[in-house]
Amino acid sequence: MTKYGLCALLLIAEAAWAGLPVDPLGSPLWEYNIERYLGEGVEVVVDNRVGLSVPGFAEDSTQVPLAVNLSEFPHEVAKVVTWVDMNPVPLLFNADSSDGGLSLISLNFRVQQASSVRAAVLDEQGVWHIDSGFVEAAGGGCTAPREVISSSDWENEFGTLKTGLYSSDGNTRIKASLLHPMDSGMVGNVPAFYVGKVEVRQKGSKALLLSMTLAESAAENPMFVFEFEGEKGGASEDLSIWMKDNNGYRFEGAIGGTTR
Amino acid sequence: MSGYLRSQRQTAWFVSVFALWLLLTAAATAAPKNYELTATSVADGVWVVAGSTANFSKANGGNILNTGFIETSEGVVVIDTGPSRLYGEAFRTLIESRTDKPIIKVLITHHHPDHAFGSQAFAPDTLYMLEESAQLLERDGEAFSENMYRLIGDWMRGTEVIVPSQRVQPGTLQVGKRTLRLIAMRGHTGADLVVLDEISGVLFASDMVFFNRALTTPQTPGLMEWQSEMQQLAELPFSVVVPGHGPVVRDNRAFLQMNDYLIWLDGVMASSAARGLSAAEVIGTAIPDRFESVEGASYELIRSVSHLYSEYESRALTSN
Repeated sequence: MTKYGLCALLLIAEAAWAGLPVDPLGSPLWEYNIERYLGEGVEVVVDNRVGLSVPGFAEDSTQVPLAVNLSEFPHEVAKVVTWVDMNPVPLLFNADSSDGGLSLISLNFRVQQASSVRAAVLDEQGVWHIDSGFVEAAGGGCTAPREVISSSDWENEFGTLKTGLYSSDGNTRIKASLLHPMDSGMVGNVPAFYVGKVEVRQKGSKALLLSMTLAESAAENPMFVFEFEGEKGGASEDLSIWMKDNNGYRFEGAIGGTTR
Repeated sequence: MSGYLRSQRQTAWFVSVFALWLLLTAAATAAPKNYELTATSVADGVWVVAGSTANFSKANGGNILNTGFIETSEGVVVIDTGPSRLYGEAFRTLIESRTDKPIIKVLITHHHPDHAFGSQAFAPDTLYMLEESAQLLERDGEAFSENMYRLIGDWMRGTEVIVPSQRVQPGTLQVGKRTLRLIAMRGHTGADLVVLDEISGVLFASDMVFFNRALTTPQTPGLMEWQSEMQQLAELPFSVVVPGHGPVVRDNRAFLQMNDYLIWLDGVMASSAARGLSAAEVIGTAIPDRFESVEGASYELIRSVSHLYSEYESRALTSN
């Protein structure tokens, strides 16, 4: 038997042992990042009903759109984890929506070089469903200086929160934008300064509609879009978004614009 | 067959395949690049050098735009210099094959690399630009250049960014017996020069007009501002329209298509923002059938959403 044949067999054996399906995109980081972000020995299936959408190329490496549209996903959504394989720190976000009935989540990311992108969804049986996309990119998005610094009054605009509330086919859609540099800590002499925690809250309920942690791949001035099944909250003030950055700043507002 | 012999044979096979590969790559890289430009006369003394409606690629060397030149009793007026030094040189050779008159003015319509990067081929004191365009070229030129090397590779060899030292003002420019009307617009980049030859009625619309090619938006000050300038263009006394990209036309079809497309694109973004859609959802918007002839519409929609959608989103949200 040739050396290569043996290697191939070993690889197949290893994959079978790990219980992982074959990566549809053939990335060398498939197993490594699954283990890193979902855990060791987890059950994984490749499933395009997760509904990951990313553009085929990054027009702007510092702002690449991503959405996970779960409208075709037949199971309950416990968690959503997204990452960009080839980024210095691949993780984008980790969202927990056990009580919310999440049907869509969207956030822009940075890309350092052409990369596969993953969205993994944990169902009620404890199985992770993964969908993948690929983004071509000139790159450099993670180590590019932030845009906001070039605007002279960024310190006045820092922390500006804008929100919107929409009804979409009986579902509740929330949009929130925050002006924040989201410094990843990967640009020389600029320390990490980013929003790490996001929560969507509903008045009169202890359970969160969504709780989310963000990581280094998240883009500057984040624009969050969330959609939840059914009508949530009666009046617009019933829903609110809360965020906290690593310097302790908190940003909070009712969804739909009423100042609190 | 013994293992030793087999491995020797394999080695020989690998060596020959590798040698062939070396030869082929060497031939590919050494082949002289040639734009093969042709000039088409669209009116007496007025020529257009037409490019394709494709995207920048290593196959086309960025020859995706229309340049042109106008012969006058005093000399030749050139419109745009193309995407690279090599293009500029081929373009100048082509002009010299059509007329004995000297090139006296080179009008660069805007600062985008496909229009302004062939300038090394022309005498520096003949290069003219709007003041705002020159500032934009000064600001963005190096970044554009890096991107162009990435997109078209070896075609860019020896290309450097030249910011013209001479300025044009909006108004009439008398060159020999020709009167050129110079119009400063803003829609495409914030500083766009449009040139109307009043004698022939040939309108060099530059990138204010794309025809059967999706318009590009990285520096537009606003789609509706661009659209309102389309009305002004349509009212000019033209006989021939030379779009920046796409085929030359002798009627108002290009304006009508641009107008329709700009209104559609603005509408897609405004209505998507009003529904709370994310950028990732908007880039998948279906292109209407009536734009079937518009090349690159899906591709440019992804780019335009990246350039413009966050503004529409921001306007549609409420401040907390």
